[in-house]
Amino acid sequence: MLDWFSSTPGRLYVVGTLLPLAAFALLLTAGGLRALCRPFRKQGGFAAKVYWTLGGDTPGRGGAYLATASMAAAAVLGAIGLVLVLGDHTTGAERTARWGERADWLRIGSLDSAAPPVWEKQRETDPTRPAPGPALALEVGYKIDQLTAVVFAMVTFIGTLIFVFSLGYMKDETKETVADHEVDNQRQPTPPAPLPEGKGETDTHDAHDAHHHGTPLPSGRGDGGVGSGYSRRGRFGRFFLYLSLFCFSMLNLVIADNLFQVFVSWELVGVCSFFLIGFFYERPSAARAANKAFIVNRVGDAGFLVGIFVAWTYLGTLNFEEMNRRVRGPDPAAPGLVRVTPAGDGALPLGDARADGTHLVLRPASATKPATGTVPVPAKPVCTDHGALPYWLFVVMGVGIFLGCVGKSAQVPLQTWLPDAMEGPTPVSALIHAATMVAAGVYLVGRCHPLFAPEVLLVIAYIGAVTLFISATIALVQTDIKRVLAYSTCSQLGFMMLALGIGGWVAGLLHLITHAFFKALLFLCSGSVIHGCHHEQDLRKMGGLRAKMPITAFAMLIGVLAISGAPLLSGWYSKDMILSAALAYVSVHPEHWLLFALPALTAAMTAYYMFRLWFLAFTGRPRDVHLHDHAHESPAVMWLPLVVLVVFSVGVAWGWPLWEAHASQLGHVLEKAEPASVSAAFAAERAKEHHVHTAAGLVALVAAVAGAGLAFAVFYRKQPTPEALYARGPAWHSFLLNKWYFDEAYDAAVVKPTVALARAAAAADKRPGGATEPDGKRLDLRTLDGLLNALGQCAAALGGFLRGAQTGRVRAYVAALALTAVVMLWMLAIK
Amino acid sequence: MTELGLTPFLLLAAFLFACGVACVTVKRNAIGVLMGVELILNAANVNLVAFARFNSGFRLDGQVFALMVVVLAAAEAAVALAIVLNFYNNHATVDVDEANELKG
Amino acid sequence: MSLPVILFVVVATATAVSAVGVVASRNVVRMAVWLLFTLIGVALIYFLLGAEFAGAAQLIVYVGGTLVLVVFGVMLTAHGPLRELRTRRAEWVIGGTLGAALFVLLAAVSLELGTKEPHTAPAPGTGQIGLTFLGVTETNPPGNLSGVPGDKPIARTRVAYLLPFEIVSVHLLVVLIGAAYLARAKRRVKP
Repeated sequence: MLDWFSSTPGRLYVVGTLLPLAAFALLLTAGGLRALCRPFRKQGGFAAKVYWTLGGDTPGRGGAYLATASMAAAAVLGAIGLVLVLGDHTTGAERTARWGERADWLRIGSLDSAAPPVWEKQRETDPTRPAPGPALALEVGYKIDQLTAVVFAMVTFIGTLIFVFSLGYMKDETKETVADHEVDNQRQPTPPAPLPEGKGETDTHDAHDAHHHGTPLPSGRGDGGVGSGYSRRGRFGRFFLYLSLFCFSMLNLVIADNLFQVFVSWELVGVCSFFLIGFFYERPSAARAANKAFIVNRVGDAGFLVGIFVAWTYLGTLNFEEMNRRVRGPDPAAPGLVRVTPAGDGALPLGDARADGTHLVLRPASATKPATGTVPVPAKPVCTDHGALPYWLFVVMGVGIFLGCVGKSAQVPLQTWLPDAMEGPTPVSALIHAATMVAAGVYLVGRCHPLFAPEVLLVIAYIGAVTLFISATIALVQTDIKRVLAYSTCSQLGFMMLALGIGGWVAGLLHLITHAFFKALLFLCSGSVIHGCHHEQDLRKMGGLRAKMPITAFAMLIGVLAISGAPLLSGWYSKDMILSAALAYVSVHPEHWLLFALPALTAAMTAYYMFRLWFLAFTGRPRDVHLHDHAHESPAVMWLPLVVLVVFSVGVAWGWPLWEAHASQLGHVLEKAEPASVSAAFAAERAKEHHVHTAAGLVALVAAVAGAGLAFAVFYRKQPTPEALYARGPAWHSFLLNKWYFDEAYDAAVVKPTVALARAAAAADKRPGGATEPDGKRLDLRTLDGLLNALGQCAAALGGFLRGAQTGRVRAYVAALALTAVVMLWMLAIK
Repeated sequence: MTELGLTPFLLLAAFLFACGVACVTVKRNAIGVLMGVELILNAANVNLVAFARFNSGFRLDGQVFALMVVVLAAAEAAVALAIVLNFYNNHATVDVDEANELKG
Repeated sequence: MSLPVILFVVVATATAVSAVGVVASRNVVRMAVWLLFTLIGVALIYFLLGAEFAGAAQLIVYVGGTLVLVVFGVMLTAHGPLRELRTRRAEWVIGGTLGAALFVLLAAVSLELGTKEPHTAPAPGTGQIGLTFLGVTETNPPGNLSGVPGDKPIARTRVAYLLPFEIVSVHLLVVLIGAAYLARAKRRVKP
């Protein structure tokens, strides 16, 4: 057993990935069995015994403990793996063998090296067209480098803490019946009776929107408490079931060594987020938010698929290593894109590389020696040979892959799902925002960095910059505690994307890690606040909670400081690196000055809105006395993870000397995993960075202090009155409050036309008289429905006619039979 | 026998067959119908045996087939009579025209 | 006119007349009697054709078994009004026409077939039928039923009827049990 691990220590990661899956499978089996046996619970016998053994009526906690334990075990494995990876000094093939394995999952095509005939034929018409590999294989595999190890450790560690936190936070779900007042509140505006499916959806739409746009609800939540309210069974186990699957998907995504496996996990992550955001699916708002997250992510995934298809078709492999080698060449010292314009006879003049070549030269995936001179296209090409990929397709591939990341990491223009995802339970928000889902996008951009053309990187940078700015402005005015955090997540993800786009590979991914810690901390703190305030999320009703929940207040302050970029806290290191990378980039390319101006401005806004949140929630006079009186500190199972996260939020990026942002130890670790192409492509910026990073650090610091000071002045010194908080601000205020009207724009541009189209289609389907008319009465050939009905009516009429022949008189049948025999004989006899 | 040939036997069988069909068609009594069926089977048997006699390639097989038909006819008669009795028990009649519960 | 022809004409006429009797009589009991004569006539035809075993089986199974069953059925069900169920004239016409048409057609086909000369070999005996069941076609000398001769190997056809015959016998058993079950006296449950 030990040998098995010591020869290839990467298997630790496989085991760590499979542990949550095992927990998921166990919980699923147990839950399914219990549900199967439920009808027999009163009757005794084996089925009833199974039912009661598996927990009976009350949702069991055993499964939750099991899931938490498996996650903790994965975290331990992740920690061990991290130590092993960092201590492993092997290089080259040996390292590859120790920390990665590959296996075919599906192999497509013949096993010999001849190209399939169809490709030969295509090759005749288009000589530049590359042939596919001897046999394309969809693989499963894992590859552990420093980036993987760090992200894996982060995901499992934060995941474990969130699991533990959930044990306390989701305690309500362990009851046999859970009253969900939210459902009643949201359903109130609709007619009382349970509505037909489609109708209820459209009606609640408006109520939901009103709620989301920040208009205060007429009645306080949670204090209705009438006996007739909606109640359901607790779903404690199910929550942990979903969480386990979520973590498995994320871990699988992290250790994957090929795009295909990433895509599979990607979709799994998506579907898990759908389940978890819609965990309270009885609430129409939650159901809508889940749908929205899922559908918006599909838009991104469509692009991702296009990228994968291009890569598969032209590169012939989806393995990251091999793709990099094919695009960038086998020589790690000189990674670069070689663009040529093919000669008339289809040969690729490799020596004649030009910056405006129409095709990108693809190098062999496995060869080690770089080729020079003119390479004639072989008569019988195989995939491992040189080929060419039209440059615009290469850009399309990069943009496609990035589009998937845009969806998952909630970048403009697909950012709208993330704030709505706050409908899920708070630990889910923490998990989505900190450790798993949104991290997946950034992680993938980091992984695929060598596959991105410079144009794509510029797109990434600008998308990131726009996102971080827009989200921060929206976060300035939000009043829902979780929504502020959600937009801050968008904004921070924008920072990461920006950094990756301008060559700050280490900075972006370092920010991913540090952000994961302090954002998890912030979310769990907000969860603690929400829990302590009996599921009140409105900042305007809070205030003065510091005395009531000191631990949470302290932890949240640390989180706020970290995200604002207070020196020596983890966020400072990463943000400083990002800003200095941005400044370096701008000083090399002055025409892209926005790429520094926006993040610098946003750094100030970040500090402002985070401190605004903290001051509003924890300081000042209580604005809602009733709420304040009943507020309480959360139990130890909830605040212990907070304390642990505080420690990590402070020190996860430390290095020596402490005051030097670039000395971050975590950054050095990540630097080892940096693709060679990054430093090659951004050599000029790298050189510049050393000169500008003091200036950038100063800018960041000044911005943060300014933002924090402004918040201090507005929300601490000059206690805002509740009226002022509820007041409608000027136009820009409502513009921000309404999130730049993104939702409305999408609604008008996409949703409304779609619904109108669907209505039109439905109208074409239905008869003009409406659905009330009984079917089968009238023949109507003008509509689709009518046509189909007419078909049915014809069949019915024929049946009715033939029915008359079945008289039930046996002798008539015999007579008919004899008559048939006579006729047939007659036909035979009379030729 | 030689001067007789195959045809008269076939004619007799055809006549029996026609009588059987007419019997089945005409009789309202279930047992009458059953007798008609027996006539039809016998007609077929006569044919089989006659062919066996007049066709050298078909020599014994015809007789064996006839035997099997006889046995199966016996079985059929037993079952049919049981059904008729059951029908009689339930409907107090053996008129097949009354058995029209499956009428469309 | 040789004796077989005369015999055939007599027997065939009697059989045909009896068959017409079955169709024509209204009384079930009379029908049964006419059927009896028909079956005996068919058995005689078998004898005329040299198929003695088939004829004997016809007599034993049909006349001795089936017909007794039928008569029992008649006795168990034939109460006064049921003994003669009247058939409408139109149905008589239809049935008669159908039968006549069938006969005409079949007769036409039979006449077309022409007269086949019977093979000259002696009619096979009962023993040979038994051997046929075993698939044995040739023994030497033919008709020697005492066993397998020593000087000639037995020729077997690819088709033997033993297994089908066994299956038929088991089928018959099953059918008889089923019939007994179906027809058993049921105690009526009076509510």
